[in-house]
Amino acid sequence: MVAVILFLAITSAFHLHFMLLAGDWDFWTDWKDRQYWVTLTPIVAITFPAALHYVFWEKFRLPFGATFAIVCLIFGEWMNRYFGFHVWSYFPFSEIWPATMIPGAIVLDVVLLLTGNFFLTAVIGGIGFALLFYPANWPMLAAYHLPMEVMNSVVSVADYIGYTFTRTATPEYLRFIERGTLRTFGGHSAWVASFFAGFVCMLMYFAWWYLGMLLTKVVTVPNKFKQLMGLKKDPRPSSEQLAV
Amino acid sequence: MGIMQAEVDQPARQVDGGASRPSARADFSTGAIAPIRTTALGVIGILVLMIAYRIYQQVFAWSAGLDSTDPAFDTYWMGLLQWQLPAIVASWAGLWSYLFVTRDRHLDKLEPREELKRYFRLIGFIFLYAFAVYWAASFFAEQDAAWHQTVVRDTSFTPSHIVLFYGTMPFYVLFGVGSLLYAMTRLPRFAEQLSIPFVLAVAGPFMILPNLGYNEWGHAFWMMEEFFSAPLHWGFVVLGWSVLALGGLLVQIVQHMTELFRRCDA
Repeated sequence: MVAVILFLAITSAFHLHFMLLAGDWDFWTDWKDRQYWVTLTPIVAITFPAALHYVFWEKFRLPFGATFAIVCLIFGEWMNRYFGFHVWSYFPFSEIWPATMIPGAIVLDVVLLLTGNFFLTAVIGGIGFALLFYPANWPMLAAYHLPMEVMNSVVSVADYIGYTFTRTATPEYLRFIERGTLRTFGGHSAWVASFFAGFVCMLMYFAWWYLGMLLTKVVTVPNKFKQLMGLKKDPRPSSEQLAV
Repeated sequence: MGIMQAEVDQPARQVDGGASRPSARADFSTGAIAPIRTTALGVIGILVLMIAYRIYQQVFAWSAGLDSTDPAFDTYWMGLLQWQLPAIVASWAGLWSYLFVTRDRHLDKLEPREELKRYFRLIGFIFLYAFAVYWAASFFAEQDAAWHQTVVRDTSFTPSHIVLFYGTMPFYVLFGVGSLLYAMTRLPRFAEQLSIPFVLAVAGPFMILPNLGYNEWGHAFWMMEEFFSAPLHWGFVVLGWSVLALGGLLVQIVQHMTELFRRCDA
């Protein structure tokens, strides 16, 4: 029962965190053609794995905090891929699929297991988590990266799918991601973006490991209403009484 | 999890080995001490309600939920809102009042075995809380993104929001505050000292409810289109992080129960 509580709670919190920071854009095939996706997703996704590493490893010596967190996230996203995006809003499956981060999470866990050291896990595992993100998704993404010509312009298949299935309430979406050189067909800049994500992932790992420590500390304060709760008043004299 | 199971098994083995001691093992192993039936009924109740919400959305969102000025919208969606809000407030008042009024007024005389049973009930209560939070924060929350990518929000009370913001979110507050009240009114350790991880794990998700006001105000003034990673939504994110404090609560409950198992075994 405790395991299911953790599964549900982490699914809820991690999914909420991820959908509102990485954005629901992680679902869109055409968004996956941009460098933002490669950069932003691992940085936002390493947070809960790092926090759970502290809880699971330091408190219970369990070395699967990262994989557990990512499985929770992907479960929440797949429930929405089917019931939310497809069944309710009628988006085609080919347009909406959440990325996977499981290989990176396994590496993060394995580094922790082998080194038992959170610093090395941050440095080695953090960059591994980010670098593995792109190739882990390649088998699902490759077909959508093929270039095609539409109205005398070269676009990717992903682009064209996004163009034909208009998201009517998202003009901001188009303004935001089309600027600069963020659109590529997966050239060298994707790997540059991955390395940058790896650098930030190291820092995020430190920050979230520490946040995990802070939030799971067992801290209590005296309940001033304990008599109301059925306990007797503390027979010891208070500091005010001692002062008199 | 593993440790907790080990803690459960440990005294059972010891009790089994001592012929002169009362057979506590039977109680531990048959589930007599754990509120399995009550928790299962709670899970089924929540599941039925959530599935009913989802079916209602499927049937009436496209047919009556696209235009807030449509009379059908008033019937099917504002009608649901007007029915569910009083029901949820009544359930808050009912459950929380019940927990407080029926509190144990002699917590200092509580037997260890009874206290242990109450810890299992508390875990069942937290289970229902986590289950209700899942539907709100994961299932219906991202459905909101899917819906508003396609359907423009012309009111704060959309078919997605009425279920997510004014249905499922207040609903999990019922169990969050309820579990905290249960612990404080029935378990001496939680009545003596306020548990900060417990308060965080309840207060963070609870504060998402008032944050909805900011969210709706921001959407009304600044942006009507859907943009899920907008800073406007980051209040939800930070408040959601507090769920991690359940880890601290878990450690605390394990510590308390370990001590109780020892006392039961003594």
